[in-house]
Amino acid sequence: MSTTSTPRPTSTSPPAAPVAVRTEALWKIYPQEPQPVEAVRGVDLVVERGAFLAMAGPSGSGKTTVLNLLGGLTRATRGRIRIEDREITELPDRELARVRMHRIGFIFQSYNLLPVLTARENAEFTLLLQGVSAAERKRRVHELFAEIGLEGMENRFPPKLSGGQQQRVAVARAVLGNPALVLADEPTANLDSATAEALLDVMQRLNRTMGTTFVFSTHDPRVMERAERVIRLVDGRIERVDVPGA
Amino acid sequence: MTARPAILFRLALRNLGRELRRSSLTAAAMVWGLALLIVSRTLSDGAHEDWIDSGVRLATGHIVFNAPGHRTSESLEDHLTGEQTAAALAAVRALELPEAALASVRVSTRGLASSPDGAIPVAIHGVEAGAELAFSRLGADVLEGRYLEAGDRLHAFIGQALALRLGLRTGSRMVLTAQSAAGEIEGQLVRVVGTFRTGLAELDESVVHIPLQTAREWLGVEGATTISTLLPHSSFTARALEELRARVAPGEIEITPWEESTPELHSAVRLDDGGDWVFHLILFAIVAMAILTAVFMSVLNRKRELGLLRALGLSGRETGWVVFIEGLMLTAAAGLIGIGVGFALVWIFFRNGLDLTGLMPQDFTFGGIVFDPVMYPVIEARHLLQSLFFTAVIGISASIYPAWQAAALDPADSVKVE
Repeated sequence: MSTTSTPRPTSTSPPAAPVAVRTEALWKIYPQEPQPVEAVRGVDLVVERGAFLAMAGPSGSGKTTVLNLLGGLTRATRGRIRIEDREITELPDRELARVRMHRIGFIFQSYNLLPVLTARENAEFTLLLQGVSAAERKRRVHELFAEIGLEGMENRFPPKLSGGQQQRVAVARAVLGNPALVLADEPTANLDSATAEALLDVMQRLNRTMGTTFVFSTHDPRVMERAERVIRLVDGRIERVDVPGA
Repeated sequence: MTARPAILFRLALRNLGRELRRSSLTAAAMVWGLALLIVSRTLSDGAHEDWIDSGVRLATGHIVFNAPGHRTSESLEDHLTGEQTAAALAAVRALELPEAALASVRVSTRGLASSPDGAIPVAIHGVEAGAELAFSRLGADVLEGRYLEAGDRLHAFIGQALALRLGLRTGSRMVLTAQSAAGEIEGQLVRVVGTFRTGLAELDESVVHIPLQTAREWLGVEGATTISTLLPHSSFTARALEELRARVAPGEIEITPWEESTPELHSAVRLDDGGDWVFHLILFAIVAMAILTAVFMSVLNRKRELGLLRALGLSGRETGWVVFIEGLMLTAAAGLIGIGVGFALVWIFFRNGLDLTGLMPQDFTFGGIVFDPVMYPVIEARHLLQSLFFTAVIGISASIYPAWQAAALDPADSVKVE
């Protein structure tokens, strides 16, 4: 992998494009005994709209915690987070849920589909919460399933789908609501090489065609190779930002 | 709830369907709990009504009219006049009830029954043969001879034990001695027309029925000492009492409900009712624990899914609602089936009764009641609604804690649970 490195930056370069997410001096400290754990330590991050960005680092470096903070799944101890133009750091639970529903998509390592819903119902779940009409949901799911190779799988329940198919349903669910940001936590970790490549193809295509912003947390070199920028985290801090291929 | 409730209901329903075995087992606990509750409640209501019915029939009815002070003095001086008796009977006839109330006019006193074999203290009741036959049903317990009839004059119907102790048989003569309303000791010769056996020693050894007119003339009482009223059901007592008190001049006639006139019977019913409630509380607790355990376990097992719902845009409260709705659905479904099963069992007991002959000795008595070993259910809407209400409350309450737990889950922690 060819990269350029900046020596221990505390933030990514200021982007020219509109901002999808911005963090300022973000800290997450878990109050544990005997000593509190500083999982994220003063992260400044700017992700422009339409970015395809990866966060890499050893286990325990804070990748998943940063993703959870960006997605409003956990609250920052200090610092600020803005999703597009919305400050989410202090939002009450209900408002934060609305932000997640409308502006953030999630893809998890272990697929995390709702087993009681079919592939179509899983994919359209966010649209359903957003109040999108049944006809519109059907149209969008149909189009996207065709695009990502899930045609004919609409009425299957998750246990009847392969790992790659389940992860594609998860991708569909993440992007169908037109979020400002899709957060993908180790999305290829449970997939074989060919399936992982195919899934990355799908996500990259959606990034290009729909302009969806993707932020990955990953160990997978295939993800890092495709990323426009790779943010290296060590001990909860941004160590450097690599630009693959540059 | 900001998300459409239909989504939450759909998720809850499918979760119940997915864990069909667990849901069914939980529902079964509720179904049998509620069915048992309904059966137990209706049988115990049936038993209580039977006790009250048999108790008040052998005593002074659901409601009794006396002259003021008579209940404590038991003196013939404190008796109702003819006018007061007529007014009380008119008030009873005017009661607005599904079935007509029965009234029995009595002149009652304590005295001595004598025969060549000896003398025994007795309770003497002058009664109207027809009315008393329908009222006390002593006529149904005839062992020998017959009950009093219209036209009888110097006749007596007595308990079997009394007859044995005085060496009397049908056709034998005995002398009754008592103090008249004028304060004189008066004797009356009567002939035994029949004997009865209730199983209650205090009745069989001491009760003597003679014609009302004979008692009036012998004891110098124009009206009555008591007018006993029998209602179609004990649950009408309070209503009827209010009506009667409104109709009859207060202060001139004392009107007393069975709870006060037969306090031992009332205590027996209350005691048994208390025992039933303890049993019901244990049942409620078992049902509550079954629901709580099942719903709570399902929360623990689905931590990741619930966390995912949070990630997808449900608030903590909405996620809690999904779990709460599951508990509600389970309670509602099990409640409906439980009612069906309960009433099916009640219907069986309606037809055949619950025969406890093998569990209690013949003529088992307590608190002045002869127990019928065959119990028949009685559906009292009030108690049934109470049971349903408590079941619903318990189902709802037992779902609150798991729902609260689901609402309080940390989404970041939950989604990474394997």
